Amino acid sequence: MSVLSAVLLGLAMGVVFGFLLEKSRVFEPAVILGQLQLRNFLMLKIFLSGVAAGLVVIGALVATGLSGLHPKATLWTADIVGGLILGAGIALAGACPGTTLAQVGVGYKDARFTLAGGLLGALTFTYLEPTLRPVLLEGGAGKLTLDKVLGIPFPWLAFGFAALLVVGLVALERWRPWREEIGANADGLLPPPESTAPAVPTAASGRA
Amino acid sequence: MPALTDRAWSPYLAGALLGLLQIPAFLLIGTALGASSSFVTVSATLAAWVDPAIQQIDYAAKHLSGAKNWWQVALVVGIALGAFLSSRLSGARRAGIAPVWERALGTKSPATRFLLAFLGGFLMLAGARIADGCTSGHGLSGMAQLAVGSFVAIAATFAGGIAMAHLLRRV
Repeated sequence: MSVLSAVLLGLAMGVVFGFLLEKSRVFEPAVILGQLQLRNFLMLKIFLSGVAAGLVVIGALVATGLSGLHPKATLWTADIVGGLILGAGIALAGACPGTTLAQVGVGYKDARFTLAGGLLGALTFTYLEPTLRPVLLEGGAGKLTLDKVLGIPFPWLAFGFAALLVVGLVALERWRPWREEIGANADGLLPPPESTAPAVPTAASGRA
Repeated sequence: MPALTDRAWSPYLAGALLGLLQIPAFLLIGTALGASSSFVTVSATLAAWVDPAIQQIDYAAKHLSGAKNWWQVALVVGIALGAFLSSRLSGARRAGIAPVWERALGTKSPATRFLLAFLGGFLMLAGARIADGCTSGHGLSGMAQLAVGSFVAIAATFAGGIAMAHLLRRV
């Protein structure tokens, strides 16, 4: 595919992607921070629904021979160290790399700083990559997927895992109905914790 | 029935539709959804204007050209456009700083928030590039391909995120 048609397709897919991120409210900093403080579970609902649907469609693409897999290589140290840093960044940014752009699009001003910091972070890594490569980015287990580990054909395992996620999501919805997590201004901000637990400070200080 | 003018859709519907975007990614581009490597393509392209030597770094060179790299840049630009469009249709416009930050940081100071946002962005992309993926590439795409490294990376991401979020004030 030519670069121009890839760019046009990317733009079209991105518009849908951004539209869904906005409609799902997962781009809201209060949704992301609320999830990481285990107070609001909207992000997990959206994320696991996306994974479940992905498992079904990718399972179908593999089963029908229309496509193979494009997994990333397993690099234990890099996956753990990088993941921890990524997570810390997500908490401070109140965004992940993709939702940063959605925040910029809807008009959040601080997201422009997140974007600038992200570009500098990616550039810094690029300059350090030759140094980091022998330490963090070599070896590992290659493009390892669970179906190979378990010896189960990918589509079956993918459909089975998707079914498990659906069961989990049904349970999650019963525990925390999504409509109660959207917030009055659709930004995922729930009433302050104090208002749900009145008079705790005096009790706590009395015990101390 | 969800309408384009709704402020919020069911997270299950919106999430599932996000997952369906894997179909054009796999069939037409030959890759899975991702977002963070576009930050390398854009920043290395900008840096190449002042430091052409960056093109000598293999990692930069791999990200500077090619349909897949610029497809992803277009994808994230599209994300901004799509989110803008959706918020205009529903009237859920945003400006300034989200009110959650005053609660989380205990201050209204924009300078504090801008500084933390910049630092957060820096860590986010540095970490994503070390792990070779973010919540899209490892999360949505890696887990949907049952990639072992992606499960590890996402577990670490949530661990790091939950730890850092608990250092902030409760929102």
